[in-house]
Amino acid sequence: MSLSVISYPVFFVSVVAAMVLSVSLFPVQWLVLRPEWLGLIVFYWTFRAPGRFGVLVAWLLGLMLDVLESSTLGVNAFAMALIAFLVLTTHQRLRMFPLPQQCLMVFLLLGINQMTVHFADQVLGSGTPGFSYLLPALTGALVWPFVCAVLDRLNLKLG
Amino acid sequence: MTVSAALLFQTEGNAIKTIFAQGPWPGMRLMAVALLSLVLMVADARFQRVDDVRSVLGTMLSPIVWLGHLPEAVGEWSDNAFSSREELLAEIDSLRARLLVLERRSSKYATLAADNRALRHLESAASELDESVLVADVIGVTPDPFSHELIINKGARDNVGEGQAIIDADGLMGQVIEVNQLTSRVLLVSDSSHGVPVKVLRSGVRAVLLGTGRKDTLQLMHVPDTADIREGDLLVSSGLGGRFPRGYPVARVASIESRPGAAFSEIEAEPAAGLNTSDLVLVLFQNESPAPPPTTPGDEATKAGGMEQEAEG
Repeated sequence: MSLSVISYPVFFVSVVAAMVLSVSLFPVQWLVLRPEWLGLIVFYWTFRAPGRFGVLVAWLLGLMLDVLESSTLGVNAFAMALIAFLVLTTHQRLRMFPLPQQCLMVFLLLGINQMTVHFADQVLGSGTPGFSYLLPALTGALVWPFVCAVLDRLNLKLG
Repeated sequence: MTVSAALLFQTEGNAIKTIFAQGPWPGMRLMAVALLSLVLMVADARFQRVDDVRSVLGTMLSPIVWLGHLPEAVGEWSDNAFSSREELLAEIDSLRARLLVLERRSSKYATLAADNRALRHLESAASELDESVLVADVIGVTPDPFSHELIINKGARDNVGEGQAIIDADGLMGQVIEVNQLTSRVLLVSDSSHGVPVKVLRSGVRAVLLGTGRKDTLQLMHVPDTADIREGDLLVSSGLGGRFPRGYPVARVASIESRPGAAFSEIEAEPAAGLNTSDLVLVLFQNESPAPPPTTPGDEATKAGGMEQEAEG
């Protein structure tokens, strides 16, 4: 399913909301389980409007995430650009997938994003052992149907 | 294909464009962006050359940080708004009592400081520099669960600079690592990339105290088995290296494990400051002008002990 109408205010609000959610510590106990919100948003917008949002927008958003998380500049930026690139190359197939398979793709792409960040952290000397860094990708895949439905509805209404 | 085509034709004329058009060469763009990211990473991690970019972006994004920490702020505000009158009165009473205790202590210090200065003058030793402080609120902690950083509500506008020490009532908390216009970021002593030069208050043994990535544990590095350190010893900042001022309590030795055959013993310490709990912190400014020394080491111990007791109440 493709959207012919894209609402830029919805784009702006969703980006701000994703950033606020990635800074917020509301459920402190479940911090490691927090979905990779900005990754989801990049996925959604490149998926829905591949002609307008692409690698460069994703890179800029990732750069902002770098500043917010005070990680090394460029790490999240590149990882987000990677998501956008992979969505751009697969979005025509992605559209044909049923929802569970889409969720699997979300998990894969967010997982690649997290692995890239983790790898860069390891190289720069601030990595942590274990596989818990993949949890945001898992929870991200689980919330994908809701994020997608809400943003679709907003786009149709306001676009 | 048929399903999507049917959907496409329902939409407006440019739908075909939106589904196939994806800007020129995403692969080329990815390469360019990867190159740019690599340059940024190297510049940031190895040369600290992009701090200005970070600071500008950080200032721009401060509303988002503020929004992100709104839930906690609201919770705190409602706690305050709905606490009963009796509780507030009790708190005022306890604060008054504490103020009295501290005032008595400070008046005692004034004479001690004068004595100390006179003695130092006699010995013509270099007079120590006093620090002035700025009170700051902790308005957030870093969203990354693996790094230990705080955000405080004082920034370049209040003359806060990189490398300044941050303390709370009980001891050293960390140092400022990034300054924005209105806020600053503080690296805590427990972060795995942080180290403080310390000495044991009792015996004067010097060592470097490293963070471990856990909030309740710090590690004392390269201390020989024979060094005079016991469990419960207070570690104060030694002032060596010039970054941290001398004499602030940093941690208390929690466990010492010496393995036969190993060159150094493994010593773990518990941070003195409330890294998880402190809401108000002090930013230390090391003054240029000579002033009375803050405290002598002996007094520092009693002061730290007293603060801890009172903070419990």
